[in-house]
Amino acid sequence: MFKHVLIATALAGSVVGGAAASDSPYLTGREQLMMLADDNPAELTEWRGEDLYHEPRGPRNVSLEQCDFGLGPGVLEGAYVQMPRYFEDTGRVMDLESRIIHCMKTLQGFTEEDDPVARKHSSDTREADLVAIYTYVAAQSNGMAWNPPMDHPMERLTRDAGEVLFHRRAGSMDFGCVSCHSEPRKRIRLSFLPVTSNQEEWSKAISWPAYRIGHGVVRSSQHRVRGCYYQMRQAGVKFGSDASIAILSYWTDQARGGEATLPDLKR
Amino acid sequence: MTNKTRYTACMGLALSAGLLAGCVQVGAQNDEKRDFTKMSPEEYADYLIFESDSFNLAQEVQEGGTARERMQQDELQRLCSETRNRPHGEIATRIVTMARASFQYPEDGIQLGDWEKGRELARSGYGFRIGHNYDNPERTVGGNCYACHQMDPEELAYGNIGPSLSNYGELRGNTEAVRRFVYEMIYNPHAYFPCTSMPRMGHNEFLTQDSISHIMAYLLDAESPVNARKKDPDAEVDPAAAPSGDTGF
Ligand code: HEC
Ligand code: HEC
Repeated sequence: MFKHVLIATALAGSVVGGAAASDSPYLTGREQLMMLADDNPAELTEWRGEDLYHEPRGPRNVSLEQCDFGLGPGVLEGAYVQMPRYFEDTGRVMDLESRIIHCMKTLQGFTEEDDPVARKHSSDTREADLVAIYTYVAAQSNGMAWNPPMDHPMERLTRDAGEVLFHRRAGSMDFGCVSCHSEPRKRIRLSFLPVTSNQEEWSKAISWPAYRIGHGVVRSSQHRVRGCYYQMRQAGVKFGSDASIAILSYWTDQARGGEATLPDLKR
Repeated sequence: MTNKTRYTACMGLALSAGLLAGCVQVGAQNDEKRDFTKMSPEEYADYLIFESDSFNLAQEVQEGGTARERMQQDELQRLCSETRNRPHGEIATRIVTMARASFQYPEDGIQLGDWEKGRELARSGYGFRIGHNYDNPERTVGGNCYACHQMDPEELAYGNIGPSLSNYGELRGNTEAVRRFVYEMIYNPHAYFPCTSMPRMGHNEFLTQDSISHIMAYLLDAESPVNARKKDPDAEVDPAAAPSGDTGF
């Protein structure tokens, strides 16, 4: 059923093109997608994430309730829209996914090899705990404005380097992110492409986690960055790496002030 | 990372960026020996790509070598990135000149191949993807023209990053000059559109000469559906027939 919705919407978006959503075929298509699907299956993931967040787990048998996402231990509301951010305790700019892993290790005592840390993405048969917790924490910023902090010099350098990476063309197809996300109203095959210069589009575009209809599971921003490097034929970007966080820092900064939809529903 | 590779990576950076002080260890932002904030965004971006262990640079790639070389920019890629794809004056001239100098033509001249093969090649986005799901180098590489261009007017799933190429042969003719232009566009489009987003599929050895000849036939051959002018542009839209999912991009 979902697959059909997907195709119908893509076509409707390209034919109707317009009246709604400030003349953006990307947004028109996304609105139709939201209307056609009754529920966002990502809610189930969010609920599971809530349980996992509060449950005492790991070798130390504690919950994640004392994890500091930047606004103080246990403060979840608005934390995600203010990430990536610099954390004194690690001396790094971190995104939400890396920060959850950090807390799983330091608070709960999990190691890199333990399934809750090792399993970064969900599959048809198994939803990653990390994705569930990420979805729960992110959802506490739903409807808020993207507002990544730029106070620390590393936050600014990370964003600025992310901008360089975004425009940097390389690889077998000479692509940079900019090749597909700079000109308004463009599409690849039937998929309309969001552009950084349109705040409404870009705020929606970076709204991860999202249930991806085509994948049948919830995906994360790290998953999207990996996918875009993959299609550019550039080297595989590593999960939570400093380069991936630089991209996230730039892309969140580009959406500054725009509304986050968390979790989102995407094609 | 072992200490040894850390050291080598460090030396590489030290040499390229002229940074020797504090270059003891790389791999994390919190390396206290280094003050990253002294770097320009460009230097830090370079560091992120090549020294921070952010990419799987050691992976072998089908053109030979490793992913590290893929991440290195050639002159065209660097110039277009630096000018944000809007090269002016001298730089634009340099790009065009370089692109013209890059042309290599088939030994037996520019020929049209088989448009039916070209149809598959124009649709396929397979090839050269690396990372978590490596494309099989034994399989034919596609040109993925449909990702960016309309071609067969009956095909609904086409992108619009590039102009429509529907009825291209019929509109432009199939003369030697046109064949040469199309060949050169596929080979290295920067000769005509400096810093275009269209890939250099000949110059980058992405497509074989054979594949280029088939795709050209698909565009120019009078028998090809690309040149079968559609009677009613709004007729028969069957959503279920449109492919979705993996576009190669
Ligand atoms: C060859 C074209 C191409 C390139 C290059 C490219 N992307 Fe994308 N991008 C796409 C396509 C296609 C989609 C999927 C759109 C859809 O699902 O409708 C997408 C989706 C996205 C999205 C999510 C939009 C949404 O709402 O689903 C983001 C964010 C994004 N890309 C960022 C990037 C970044 C960052 C880079 C560089 C690392 C990049 N893209 C490079 C084609 C590209
Ligand atoms: C990433 C998008 C992209 C892909 C993939 C792509 N092109 Fe293009 N193409 C363009 C753009 C953009 C232009 C227009 C040049 C410009 O203004 O930059 C173009 C222009 C052309 C033109 C010149 C049209 C004219 O004005 O006469 C031809 C011919 C062409 N492309 C053929 C192809 C073929 C054949 C393929 C597949 C092998 C292909 N393109 C793949 C983006 C693309």
